[in-house]
Amino acid sequence: MKRYQLLILLLFLLFIFQGTIGFWLTPPALQGIISPNLVFVAILFATIYHHRHTGLVLGLIFGIVHDIIYYGEMIGTYSFGMGVSAYIMGMIFNKPRSPLPVMLTAVILGSLLLDSMLFGIYKLFRINPDSYNWALLHQMLPDLLIHFAFALIIYVPVRKQLDLVVKAPRRSKAS
Amino acid sequence: MLIGLVTFIALMGFTLGPRVGLTWPEKFMRDTVGFVQGVFYKPASYIAGFFEDVRNMKEVYSENERLKMAVAQYARESAEYHRIKAENEDYMNMLKFTEAQKNKYDYDYRPANVLSVNQDPNNHTLVIDLGEKDGVRQNMTVISVEGMVGVISQVGNFTSTVKLLTTLDPQDAKRQQIAATVSNKDTFGIIESYDKKTRMLKMTRIPEDDPVAPQDLIVSSGNGGVIPRGMIIGKVVEVETGEFGLTRTATIEPAANFQDWKTLLVVFTPEEPQE
Repeated sequence: MKRYQLLILLLFLLFIFQGTIGFWLTPPALQGIISPNLVFVAILFATIYHHRHTGLVLGLIFGIVHDIIYYGEMIGTYSFGMGVSAYIMGMIFNKPRSPLPVMLTAVILGSLLLDSMLFGIYKLFRINPDSYNWALLHQMLPDLLIHFAFALIIYVPVRKQLDLVVKAPRRSKAS
Repeated sequence: MLIGLVTFIALMGFTLGPRVGLTWPEKFMRDTVGFVQGVFYKPASYIAGFFEDVRNMKEVYSENERLKMAVAQYARESAEYHRIKAENEDYMNMLKFTEAQKNKYDYDYRPANVLSVNQDPNNHTLVIDLGEKDGVRQNMTVISVEGMVGVISQVGNFTSTVKLLTTLDPQDAKRQQIAATVSNKDTFGIIESYDKKTRMLKMTRIPEDDPVAPQDLIVSSGNGGVIPRGMIIGKVVEVETGEFGLTRTATIEPAANFQDWKTLLVVFTPEEPQE
């Protein structure tokens, strides 16, 4: 139970990090074009190594926090996008013991899905004038690279911790 | 699943339109998270600023030269400005301006620190550390030292969100347009979109016979009522004939550079008398 709280605390720290220090780490030429969503990558890990419902709930919670803090147009885009894409990824890659390549594929697909979903919602409410091809090349692919690199960095430590989360309840049942 | 979908679309639709204020859970969340963000953003910006300073060391000398020239010019112009301002006040007194009319363009600039940045290109927003308790209201203008940056979109108790000019878009349902003019000519035009590909603003509906030319400084004219008069927006890069041939369109390079946010200024306009 304690590890759950740790997980949520870590995600929250990551969320703060991405809006503050993460911004200063982006080179000025790319500012305002790419929007790396590191929280989402971490949530994907939780989805695949724990359960898809965890991913759904975490995605919904951190999405709504993101929406309210950066309230420009409307509330709900990130919440919806992150929750649903984490859930779908959890459904496709439905194995708690996935090796590294599978996890990375999930990150790639998930990141594309999330960005396309956000793009679609903005398009639906007529906030976004760009074409999909342009957005794909200039916004989603750079995002994808950053998500991929971030997933590689955090793979070993996060996997270790999440394996403990999964194991902990089983051990308590056995004893 | 379907119920969730419907709920979310309803939520998005509901929050899309103009709203009067935020409910208290929203405010509470913004304030707590805003506080934590402030703790992180400040040191990060200092460190980033330090590295940039080291990189820019060489440019400093040439910049210093340029600034000295600029200061000399500024001193001359400010003397002239004070003379003209005094003259202007005399005329106002002669013509018996009311007190409200005199104070109309008397703006108050208050500095605000940036707490965090949302990099989503479709919903580019910043969080700053001034809120309702400091008298910030929705739709106030936010500027940086270089020029206009954006408009306050939502206000919490101690923080507020700034929607940047880079999200200007003519197709938007509740679009914000800025009536603009050239600083020393009698031009009229409307800034209505930002092109993410070229990173330029577009000013449309300029009359055919207008004297606007490249390198002109574009400022807001205050005609719309929301954006106060005289906010620096940018420089004209080129002027071309508009879509229908009757008006002209100017491409404008924004004065603010939309990156490396540290301190911004919120423009407080004097309170309008309630009708």
